[in-house]
Amino acid sequence: MNDLASETMTATSKPLGLDFNTPALQRKRRIRALKDRCARWAVSLGGMAVLGAITLIFFYLGYVVLPMFQGASIEPRKPVQVAWLNEAGAPLLLALEEQNQVAMRLDQKGQVQFFDAKQMQALSKVQLPLPADAQITSVAQDQPGSNRIALGLSNGQVLVFQHAYKITYPNDIKTITPSVEYPFGDAPIVLDSQGRELDHLALSLNSGTLMLAGSTGIELHVLSLGREENLMTGEVTLSEERIALPQIAEPIKALIIDPRQMWMYVVNGRATADVFDLRSKTLNGRYKLLADAKLEVSNATPLLGGISLLIGDSRGGIGQWFMVRQDDGKASLTAIRSFQMADSPIVQIIPEERRKGFFALDAKGNLGIFHSTAHRTLLVEPVAEGQALATLSPRANRMLVESDGQLQRLIIDNPHPEISWSSLWGKVWYENYDAPSHVWQSTSASTDTEPKLSLAPLAFGTLKAAFYAMLLAAPLAIAAALYTAYFMAPVLRRKIKPVIELMEALPTVILGFFAGLFLAPYVEGHLPGIFSLLIFTPIGILLAGYLWSRLPESIRLSVPDGWESVLLIPMILLVGYVSLAMSGHLENWLFDGNMRLWLSNDLGIAFDQRNALVVGLAMGFAVIPTIFSIAEDAVFSVPKSLTFGSLALGATPWQTLTRVVILTASPGIFSAVMIGMGRAVGETMIVLMATGNTAIMDMNIFEGLRTLAANVAVEMPESEVGGTHYRVLFLSALVLLGFTFVMNTLAEVVRQRLRVKYASL
Amino acid sequence: MQHEAHTHGIDMTALGRERQGLNMANEQVAIDVPGLNLFYGDKQALFDVQMTIPKKRVTAFIGPSGCGKSTLLRTFNRMNDLVDGCRIEGEINLDGHNIYRKGEDVAELRRRVGMVFQKPNPFPKSIYENVVYGLRIQGINQKRVLDEAVEWSLKNAALWDEVKDRLHDSALGLSGGQQQRLIIARTVAVQPEVLLLDEPCSALDPISTLKVEELIYELKSKYTIVIVTHNMQQAARVSDYTAFMYMGKLIEFGDTDTLFTNPAKKQTEDYITGRYG
Repeated sequence: MNDLASETMTATSKPLGLDFNTPALQRKRRIRALKDRCARWAVSLGGMAVLGAITLIFFYLGYVVLPMFQGASIEPRKPVQVAWLNEAGAPLLLALEEQNQVAMRLDQKGQVQFFDAKQMQALSKVQLPLPADAQITSVAQDQPGSNRIALGLSNGQVLVFQHAYKITYPNDIKTITPSVEYPFGDAPIVLDSQGRELDHLALSLNSGTLMLAGSTGIELHVLSLGREENLMTGEVTLSEERIALPQIAEPIKALIIDPRQMWMYVVNGRATADVFDLRSKTLNGRYKLLADAKLEVSNATPLLGGISLLIGDSRGGIGQWFMVRQDDGKASLTAIRSFQMADSPIVQIIPEERRKGFFALDAKGNLGIFHSTAHRTLLVEPVAEGQALATLSPRANRMLVESDGQLQRLIIDNPHPEISWSSLWGKVWYENYDAPSHVWQSTSASTDTEPKLSLAPLAFGTLKAAFYAMLLAAPLAIAAALYTAYFMAPVLRRKIKPVIELMEALPTVILGFFAGLFLAPYVEGHLPGIFSLLIFTPIGILLAGYLWSRLPESIRLSVPDGWESVLLIPMILLVGYVSLAMSGHLENWLFDGNMRLWLSNDLGIAFDQRNALVVGLAMGFAVIPTIFSIAEDAVFSVPKSLTFGSLALGATPWQTLTRVVILTASPGIFSAVMIGMGRAVGETMIVLMATGNTAIMDMNIFEGLRTLAANVAVEMPESEVGGTHYRVLFLSALVLLGFTFVMNTLAEVVRQRLRVKYASL
Repeated sequence: MQHEAHTHGIDMTALGRERQGLNMANEQVAIDVPGLNLFYGDKQALFDVQMTIPKKRVTAFIGPSGCGKSTLLRTFNRMNDLVDGCRIEGEINLDGHNIYRKGEDVAELRRRVGMVFQKPNPFPKSIYENVVYGLRIQGINQKRVLDEAVEWSLKNAALWDEVKDRLHDSALGLSGGQQQRLIIARTVAVQPEVLLLDEPCSALDPISTLKVEELIYELKSKYTIVIVTHNMQQAARVSDYTAFMYMGKLIEFGDTDTLFTNPAKKQTEDYITGRYG
């Protein structure tokens, strides 16, 4: 284009005569280039370091989490053939003590042989006081870890003993002295008064009451022995009670008494279980354990805690069963889950003493390691050729296997059997529960109850908290951003924006503290007021806008453009005051004086004081500045030329806003919402202090929740380093990082794509 | 410019031929400015401007940067209202009707007085949606009406043949010259009476400039056109009447041929001969 102005600019002065190639200037140029290179390196290095740090965090979390999903492994040691084994009778039972140093072997002759668990050398031997001519016909063990054993004899009598290990330190050397004790006296107890052979036996000791059950053919004999010790004299008195139960028609295969002495399970026939209620002494019901008529029950063992029964069948299947309360209040034995090992009959099931895992041996010598709750098969491997007898150490890290006259030690590595994809995210049917459910209950009072590690309620709580916070924050922040950027007077905008952004600097612990200690009780006491506030504030604002438009023009024009919002402040204050002030009256008038009770009694909506509503308000407040700031920038940076273009076509400012400005700013507004969401998901202190931390899955706004972040904060100090709980907490941190990472990435991707789309604006 | 015009096959000398014998006294008045002062805050930007814009003619405003020609243009559709601290004294009559009176529907005024800006400003929507934008905000949504309007407007803006196969592609994919013609199509779609062109070619390459100039020449049978330009040759080529402004004052206003060949004022002559710019 011709520019007349440049033609008139003729160079009249002589050349300036600058030399750009003097050594001094050349040196400066080199320094400049060097600085430029340094800066580039520093920036790249910084960027890479940030990326590296984030990647490392991911890797570290993954490194802590991954071992949970690895299976188990066993390391068999060389089988040992020892001389003493040849003289002993056929094995009935093996046991290992806590330190894995001393093992015990009970044989058919009634000898208890203690031996070194590593070298298998004999230590001491105890001959149990069996009556003359009596043979051992059945063996029963009490709860895993109790070391109590009952022997059923051919003369209808029962001998109860326990093996004990005393640790002493003579000359500072740790010595374990094994011994055999008779808590109920060393005289056998008569179970069948007719002196018949006891085929099967069960025992259970619960707060001093020993219960023994034995079978002779199809007959059941149940005896309850009370044991009272006189505190003054130490004298032991036994009281005896015989329990008569309805008789069974089929030959009995196994007897199990649960540790609370409430149920007795009698496995009989091919695959039937009769369950007796020991309190009312009646039959609870008959249950068919295996659907396939060709299968037979080959082993029945209670799991740790005695609530579950493990039923092994003749084709390598193991089923977990426990008593579940039905809708009519009656309990019935229910199949919970099943496992499959190989195809040989299950001959022995060994429950772990500390966890809900169990080991199983089949007739071909295969060993299987399982976990009931996680429904996990961790390992199936052959450990012996043919029939074997095994025992598991209390810590479930050693096994002792006897087969074919040889003893073999196995070292077991099975650190985290209780975690699986299904136990973390799926519904799990926990013991004593009526139905499968998602539960987070990481620690329990005793090892008999399993830790319930479902991340689903935590992830749900995280999203619920974020949802309610966004429900409040997103509309408010976006509307505020639109108004501030598009309508507000520039003078006012320059003050309002930094003030709202300053809100972001407010430590969230203060917000949480305030929400938990003031807001939660206040909301509880002023529920109708809070709801009328939520309803009447928008209505009041609209009403004020309408009234304003009805005012004479002279008054309206006296307020400068963009300052109208200031007039809303008294209106909002008034609505707020009136709403809260009339709360009590509303409550009396509409809700019989207590809206909280009305909600839970009349509507059946549960109410917690620290609930999602409080979190929504408090966290919404924390998220507003983030969303506002980014959205405001996005709206403000919509080119003025577009706004003018729209106005010049006859659009009103409102039409311009809704049809051009929001459209063009939409990527920015979207990423503002996503980043706000990411912030709400990762927020810890507010949800920790204002939610009550109840890990439930319920969308109800009046109930509490527990988020992933708050859960990590609450439970990290009490988790054992390297333990399953510790690793699950790391997993929840990883899930949380995943959440925020996905949200921020999504926000960024959308922003980048739309930026390309609008690049020519 | 002349060289490029030849390569493009347009006889530039033909553009202004029709205007011989024009006389302001015979024209119908589109916009009447009886006397206008404009202030940005305390600073006065326009001093007692008096002029009449003739109907269905092209009027060009020329003058050095900052002389107030764009400001004056923007008063015709009250775009100056959007500038913070802008205040107006006096009145402007569009068809004998003061557009600065109280209660004036500014949005309707802007529909009647369309405006095209220096830089093309298509909305981030499709070509089609850009053209029908002004109709949609008036509440017209019948597809048949809109389709017709799109074809009519794009043909009027000499863009139809270039974009008829990609009406639903983004308008942002068009070249600068095409975008500016799209803006003109968008503006004429709402059937304005007056078209205000604020340096419409300053961001365009010479060939696009030429096309837009040709278009202006076509459009003047239908619309009253006011164009602000820095380019005096352009003013000479496309306009019937020219106003020369300097330092917020209207120095001289008359038919283009007279103003360029025989200016009445010394300042005008100095400017058109390139003494200052």
